Amino acid sequence: MLSPYTVLDLTDEKGELASMVLGDLGADVIKVEPPGGSPSRAMGPYLEHAPEAERSLQYFAFNRNKRSVTLDLETETGRTALFSLVEKADFIIESAQAGAMAGKGLGFEAMRQANPRIVYVAITPFGQDGPHANFPASDLTVAAMGGPMSLQGVPDRAPVRLSLPQAWLHASVEASVGALTAHALMLRTNQAQFVDVSAQTAMIWTMMQGMSAHSVQGRDFNRSGNTIQLGTVNLRLVHECADGYVVIFPIGGALFKLVEWCVQDGIIPEDWLTAEDWPMYHFKVLQQQPVAHTIDEVLETVSAYVRDKTKNQLLEHGLAEGVSMAPVSNMEDLTRFRHLEERGYWLTAPLPNGSEAQVPGIFANLTGTPLSVRRWPPKLGEHTDEVLGDLLGLSSSQIADASGHGPG
Amino acid sequence: MASSDKLPLDGVKIADFSWVWVGPTSTKYLADHGATVVRVESLSRPDILYSLGPFKDREAGPTRTHAFSDFNTSKLGLTLNLKTPEATEIAKRLISWADVYVESFTPGTMAGLGIDYEVARKVNPSIIMVSTCLMGQSGPASAFAGYGFHAGAVAGFYDITGWPDLAPDGPWVAYTDVVTPRILSAIIMAAVDHKRRTGQGQYIDASQLEMGLQFLAPQILDYTANDHLTTRNGNRSNFAAPQGAYSCAGDDQWCAIAVESDEEWAGLVKVLGNPGLATDGRFATNSGRLQNHDEIDAQISQWTAAKTPQEVMRLCQAEGVPAGVVQRSSDLFEDPQLAHRRMFPQLDDPQVGPVPHTGHLFDIRGYDHGPRSPSPLIGQHNEQILKEFLGMTDDEITEAVIAGALE
Repeated sequence: MLSPYTVLDLTDEKGELASMVLGDLGADVIKVEPPGGSPSRAMGPYLEHAPEAERSLQYFAFNRNKRSVTLDLETETGRTALFSLVEKADFIIESAQAGAMAGKGLGFEAMRQANPRIVYVAITPFGQDGPHANFPASDLTVAAMGGPMSLQGVPDRAPVRLSLPQAWLHASVEASVGALTAHALMLRTNQAQFVDVSAQTAMIWTMMQGMSAHSVQGRDFNRSGNTIQLGTVNLRLVHECADGYVVIFPIGGALFKLVEWCVQDGIIPEDWLTAEDWPMYHFKVLQQQPVAHTIDEVLETVSAYVRDKTKNQLLEHGLAEGVSMAPVSNMEDLTRFRHLEERGYWLTAPLPNGSEAQVPGIFANLTGTPLSVRRWPPKLGEHTDEVLGDLLGLSSSQIADASGHGPG
Repeated sequence: MASSDKLPLDGVKIADFSWVWVGPTSTKYLADHGATVVRVESLSRPDILYSLGPFKDREAGPTRTHAFSDFNTSKLGLTLNLKTPEATEIAKRLISWADVYVESFTPGTMAGLGIDYEVARKVNPSIIMVSTCLMGQSGPASAFAGYGFHAGAVAGFYDITGWPDLAPDGPWVAYTDVVTPRILSAIIMAAVDHKRRTGQGQYIDASQLEMGLQFLAPQILDYTANDHLTTRNGNRSNFAAPQGAYSCAGDDQWCAIAVESDEEWAGLVKVLGNPGLATDGRFATNSGRLQNHDEIDAQISQWTAAKTPQEVMRLCQAEGVPAGVVQRSSDLFEDPQLAHRRMFPQLDDPQVGPVPHTGHLFDIRGYDHGPRSPSPLIGQHNEQILKEFLGMTDDEITEAVIAGALE
């Protein structure tokens, strides 16, 4: 879909998914890396746990459908080569500190001189300006400042983030939307556009109905373990089963079925069936109307039902009956989830050590312009000659100068 | 607000049959940035968000929930009861009018209603139709209906959230619902751009589980390539220490601190004012700090206990150590950075009056954008849509009303 467009990716781990989204959607993505490589190449997890060159799985995860070019932007030839690329590009995405690119003469103003129709996207923790623009940040502190942490965890311990970094990924997908929105605006105005993406605000969005809670209802939501907070009620979602945990959202018709099954299993007496209008039960609870059985009783009953059954039994039985009981998967369970296999979701990627591994597939199935992985993540500078030579017409000695890598 | 001829997506027409989170929040981007989005609802099957809080002043009521209004800004409202044949005919006219047709029901629902892709492309050969559901349109679990809580559990987000010695906590929100809309919105924008250039529409099957899994890609690889399972670990990182949320003065107040390098560790030692930490060889390297995390945490907690989280953040930041207050919704409204970005613009909601809404998460310089209008009331724009967009006559509209098609 985006095949007419070229994206220059100057990001590190804070923005690599942004350009990968555009690349997966068809754009030609040229990853411009410093001679030492993107910092994400030195981030774990590593293949075979060996923190060596070309072993970062962090890098491998978010750099498919890209070509890698090394440019030494400290040198004049490197900078000249970058500007030549900018002339041919439609998008630039970078994730340096606020103002850092401009400080090197490589910011939006310089780029729009080279290409008056460029869409320039900058990803930072807090935005390009404002009182916190230069705060050092990490995934954890952005999760804190963005709000979702305040909602997660058990009340008698510290609030928690998701244990795996998410903030830069949220910022990145936000940036891909910002890039395409700004591109549409560029088409209307014929003017270069600058998009300022803040990871903090991207994280705020992940609070959903929690973000504006205080201004709307006059008080915050607070962390309450693995429950969903509906109005004034906390509904526990996670229940322990025979081989792990399942997530059940016991409302509506699903709750009625669960009550039926509990009666069949002898967990509760038969008079439960008629004690309530179960499909409407959660509305009554929400509106604090009198009920025959309290929500805690009901949840205990659901827990008792699942306790001696396996995740898979519950999933399969629920599927057949229209009651969603979701297994809490670890990565092993996930890779064995039959549904994904039958949809042909997983792809087999050739890893840098010569082995192969199962990796997440494309984002969605499109009939007219199918998405695909056209290139696996590049080795550092793998396409320097191809891009600088074929696209820009540089000689081999000019390429060596620009890439900071000696004669290539 | 920018003049309408400069809105990025002005002229793009969207028939939005989706509901709850993923569909409506994906089309919200398009609506806020200028597309004409007709949100189709039915009184016979109200959006589940009407019963979810937060409610204005904690008074429950379908039009008082911010969950709906915050995520349906800048859209127009049309009611159609698709169980009537008359409504199906109107739906087809709406699909003919539209560039993009979005739905988010369990697979097979639109076929049952007589408006699946085969029908849609007959009435509009260049339509872009988007179907998004938890598991995707095909496969043995495609009928798995539910929420992002369920897809989040299957994906692995529950397993990686919480404490290692407790049951999984899970993200507070239905997590795949916050991952997928932005990816889906980008896909829709790319499809619209492709259609603008080529005239070609298409069908898009977007599984929320599959989009969500992209956010776990490094750890999936760690398992498939290394046979290594990652699980929940509180706030600790597998790669750098110390990291955590530390208890501060006040009622349930916390500040997150994250050290990722030796330089940042040196900064933290300076902040803590304990020279013993600097000379203790056990803490000199990252791997040493990872091994002795508990002891370092005790030192940090002792220091933070008597300070407000804002003080802790300021003192750490001054030495180049990443630190951030664990902010609640109330704190977000006091955050000077967010005020600077005008994060929460007020919109005058016809039912509950002025309420802050969530503004845009990215800024396009020089383009004064934001939600353009509050979310529509159910059926608020029926007449405008049926007459102006679909060219229906007064008689046709009256017939539709009598048939119950507009309920």
